[in-house]
Amino acid sequence: MIKVMIAKPGLDGHDRGAKVVARALRDAGMEVIYTGIRQTPEQIVQSAVDEDVDILGISILSGAHMKLIPRILDLLKSKGSNMPVFVGGIIPKEDAEKLKALGVAEVYGPGAPTSEIAEQVKRFVEHSST
Amino acid sequence: MSNTRVREDEILEGMKSHDRRSLAKMLSLCEKAPDMANEILDKLSKKTSHVIGITGSPGVGKSTLISTILDKMNGKKIGIVVVDPSSPFTGGALLGDRVRMQSHATDKNFFIRSFANKGALGGLSPSIYEACDAFEAFGMDDVIIETVGVGQSEVDVANIADTVVVVLSPDNGDEVQMLKAGLMEIADLFVINKSDNPRSQILLSRLRAVTSGNKEVPIYLTNAVTGEGVERLLDDLDDRFFQISSNGILVQKRKKRLLHHAQSIVRREIDHLIQNLEINGRNLKEIRNQLIEELCKKDDQNN
Ligand SMILES: Nc1nc2c(ncn2[C@@H]2O[C@H](COP(=O)(O)OP(=O)(O)OP(=O)(O)O)[C@@H](O)[C@H]2O)c(=O)[nH]1
Ligand SMILES: [Mg+2]
Repeated sequence: MIKVMIAKPGLDGHDRGAKVVARALRDAGMEVIYTGIRQTPEQIVQSAVDEDVDILGISILSGAHMKLIPRILDLLKSKGSNMPVFVGGIIPKEDAEKLKALGVAEVYGPGAPTSEIAEQVKRFVEHSST
Repeated sequence: MSNTRVREDEILEGMKSHDRRSLAKMLSLCEKAPDMANEILDKLSKKTSHVIGITGSPGVGKSTLISTILDKMNGKKIGIVVVDPSSPFTGGALLGDRVRMQSHATDKNFFIRSFANKGALGGLSPSIYEACDAFEAFGMDDVIIETVGVGQSEVDVANIADTVVVVLSPDNGDEVQMLKAGLMEIADLFVINKSDNPRSQILLSRLRAVTSGNKEVPIYLTNAVTGEGVERLLDDLDDRFFQISSNGILVQKRKKRLLHHAQSIVRREIDHLIQNLEINGRNLKEIRNQLIEELCKKDDQNN
């Protein structure tokens, strides 16, 4: 059983995308913990570690991704976690490449089919060490 | 195998030193390998926390109420278990109770953990007893359990909780009717939440009418959003724990909890056996006998 957290950092309140992905992952047989909107990186990371999820999904539309996502990755590391992280949202290609270089497993644009996300999430979890 | 042994030792030591990450891993073990979890928990001393079960129909405000309770706690260490249903078809689950409590996510004194019920009846997780023990071994003052938004017959929370809080709301149709179908007997306290809704007064008088004559069950009116009424509820919860600790009721409840914990372990064994049992043309009685035989073999393996 895969346990995944879908978290929504930043100030925008649009969580339709996050909820669509959360439901798709549930329908793919996963246990999905949703954090709700406007979460700080600290809240997200502490929640993911406390829930001991297998993988963390970040949904972000606010444009602050280059600030928030590296912060989340750093906090995870500082808590001794190496859980995989994936990102969904409107993110320019070059930023997506930078985030992947920092360790993000994959970045999904608004049009990414949810079935594909679910398949890949399974694969990321299988290939991660914990 | 030796590898997992190392991790178990780490979890055991981590639990002893109140390491938060070890509690997180311990709770995962409760879900993934409950027998191993019980072995570790057996080696730990446990605090007798006040185990509070919060139950009631979907949407009455259970999660919001817990968050407001946490707002008003100062210094107490609290473990929170929130349970949501798994889909019977895919096994997946959307665990959304945490959303209402996220303002407490980084609080050092609180630890929130979401569980799917994995099809277990009773509105709880099959690992709820292990999870509750884990929080007690971690030294929590209170353990709060939010059940699945229940219908009528999900009364198992009374088997684990020292105190059962049944939450009702005036938005929820005929709640008193529902009470008659089961929740009435297990309530130690009633909360009528959403007191900002004027119909809560009607619900209050209807509830008074059906509860009068039974054992004296106190009723509280709360607004979980503003916090109105919650302080009185908290004071009385603490008073009640003091009372049941001193009048012998708590001891009785803990004995019953131990029995139900054992029952949940045996049930798990049976479920496991059933999943792997070949019928091979045998009749009902033969299958029954084989189940019991296999169950006895399990005992030998463990000792
Ligand atoms: N007006 C009002 N709304 C409330 C009150 N308490 C909770 N709510 C709202 O009721 C809705 C449901 O609240 P939850 O706390 O999620 O209810 P729940 O019982 O945990 O729901 P489930 O876990 O789905 O069974 C939310 O929109 C809350 O904001 C209250 O006292 N007054
Ligand atoms: Mg809830």
